[in-house]
Amino acid sequence: MDEKMKRELAGFNRREFLKMSTVGLGTMTLVACAPTVAATAEGGTQTQSSKQAKDSYKMSFIQVQPHTVSTAWGQGIQDVTDVQQDINYKQLDGQADPATQITLMDTAISEGVDAIFLQPADSVALKPSIKKAREAGIPVITLNIDAPEAHAAHVEMNHYFGAMKIAEKMGEMMGGKGNVVILNAPPGIIIRDMRTNGFVEGMKAKYPNIQIIADQSADWDRKKAQDVLSTILASGKEVNGVYGVNDSMALGAMDVAKAKNLLGKMVIFGNDGEKAALESIEAGEMSGTQYTDVWQQGRLAAALAIGLATGGVSAKSFTHQGHILMPYVIATKENVASIQDFQRW
Amino acid sequence: MLKKIYTQNFGLVGFYLVIVIIFSVLSPVFRTPGNINNLLTGFSHIGILAIGQTFPILLGGIDLSVGAILGLVGMATFDLMLIFGLPGYVAIPIGLLVGLLAGLINGFLIVRLKLNPFIASLATMASFRGLTYAISGRQLFPNLTVLAIQDPTYLAIDGTFGFIPRALVYLLILAAATYFLLHNTKLGMDLYAVGGNENAARLAGVNVNRAKFVAYLISGLCAAIAALILTSRMTTSPEGLGIGFELSAIAAAVIGGVNLQGGSGSTSGPVLGAFLIGTIYTGMNLLGVTQYAQPVVAGAILIGAVGYDQFVKARRKKDLQEQLLLQSLHQMKKGG
Repeated sequence: MDEKMKRELAGFNRREFLKMSTVGLGTMTLVACAPTVAATAEGGTQTQSSKQAKDSYKMSFIQVQPHTVSTAWGQGIQDVTDVQQDINYKQLDGQADPATQITLMDTAISEGVDAIFLQPADSVALKPSIKKAREAGIPVITLNIDAPEAHAAHVEMNHYFGAMKIAEKMGEMMGGKGNVVILNAPPGIIIRDMRTNGFVEGMKAKYPNIQIIADQSADWDRKKAQDVLSTILASGKEVNGVYGVNDSMALGAMDVAKAKNLLGKMVIFGNDGEKAALESIEAGEMSGTQYTDVWQQGRLAAALAIGLATGGVSAKSFTHQGHILMPYVIATKENVASIQDFQRW
Repeated sequence: MLKKIYTQNFGLVGFYLVIVIIFSVLSPVFRTPGNINNLLTGFSHIGILAIGQTFPILLGGIDLSVGAILGLVGMATFDLMLIFGLPGYVAIPIGLLVGLLAGLINGFLIVRLKLNPFIASLATMASFRGLTYAISGRQLFPNLTVLAIQDPTYLAIDGTFGFIPRALVYLLILAAATYFLLHNTKLGMDLYAVGGNENAARLAGVNVNRAKFVAYLISGLCAAIAALILTSRMTTSPEGLGIGFELSAIAAAVIGGVNLQGGSGSTSGPVLGAFLIGTIYTGMNLLGVTQYAQPVVAGAILIGAVGYDQFVKARRKKDLQEQLLLQSLHQMKKGG
């Protein structure tokens, strides 16, 4: 390589470095200007404890990731917001990542939405974001998964008491004795603890002779549940009942029981009330589940949000967190037919 | 020829500006300072991972385990502070050390055991993730599920210096430092040499093994820095933190002009690549593009960005070949 080319390349390196520094400096200057422009751009409405009436409202739903349950919530919310004629509703994918959800929350807050529906991917990780939203006056309504930071309301499928009722029903079907396996969610989620504690305490209270011989994580997943239960059965233990903390895992247990011809000998309960689970109950395979109308859950959450938004209620005027428990049905073969087609999701 | 190299890199900046202009015009919220601030905060950690990823890719290798290293470091510092009660200023250096150690393991597998980098980092990705779940404080002590990190030193990692996001500052410092490393030190020259032609480099006396180790150490260190930022922001460390981040890091690096075959690219491009990805996603959110279409749109834009880059490279190569041919003909004429 001759001298001229070497010098040119060195010059190019310097030039690229300069370009990069300029971009960096330019960005930093822009960001440094943020407060002065922001102070004039963002209005004072968000810092007052009440809000003005508006022509149109914006609401966002930040879900964990696309899933039957969150899609149904979204449809329920949209059922109600569409009718209002002045609400702009958006559903956003959190990509199952708390960091992504935090960025989406930040975006929603700077957008100045009037309500945020949130299904936290992680309860603690979203705390700072919820606090930010509250301080901006934006009501946050969490769905199913709560967060330990005060927000407007938490709307949940009745995790704790529903699980207790499941334990009672299951114990009854098992004749008050036997071994139970719990196929559980991955650790670190509040909903997991509520659905497990309710079940365990319900069992202990009503049917103390029933032993819970295993409580293992199957990651909310049907396939994983099949593997976990197969392994437990292979160890030679007798299993008379299985509680899948969600329907997918219970269906996985059902798959294994069916394959090994144990359907008549195992009482299998799920939780959620998915269409597949209800059909399985009708077919006599799964024994029962806790059914919640998730569209209704979305609608109730939307109703609350619309009332707050159109009424100009700021999140800062709440004195403590609100709480809505959803009505539920413990669906078993006897009563599953009463759940109509249009209610199944 | 030089003008064409400059144009190639400038192409990415130009493309980025076009995207920003489009979104700014279509969405009034996009151009607000608050949103720009969010963008810079929310994607700086991807930029840091992309900078780290640049090094293995420059060698013609790859590090698929960065997401898992991130999760592991986060969980390690979480455990150290909330289970063992160590203060933040102790947990932070240990966290960085964990990242370096993870990088060292990758380096060992690839250099000493001569494993293919893709396979080796795939294996460590799974192992580090499994280890993260195994040491998860929230699994061992369920009451930690609702407990947040409160150490003030640690919480000071994320936040702002005045009005500038701290994560951005770390990113820019890292970008400048690694840029200097690549273009002004012998180690940098070694890295490019090994990436260009490993055997030729070895024959020329370059310490190939050391270069490889350093590359994976840097990748691990960057993952650790990103972990500290994110867990400070979240005040906790979820077990699944970092899953999928390696793909974003690789995409950002490739968009930033780092050639997957090795030997070319720098750490300035990946920073831009990371913010390009972030801008596209944020812009689409603000425009209300349905969430199902977003990955498709993002993919199309990425293909466009990389495709243009490849096109310009191919054209430059052709021009270079023409020049060399003309030169050699010229020489022949003179000699004959």
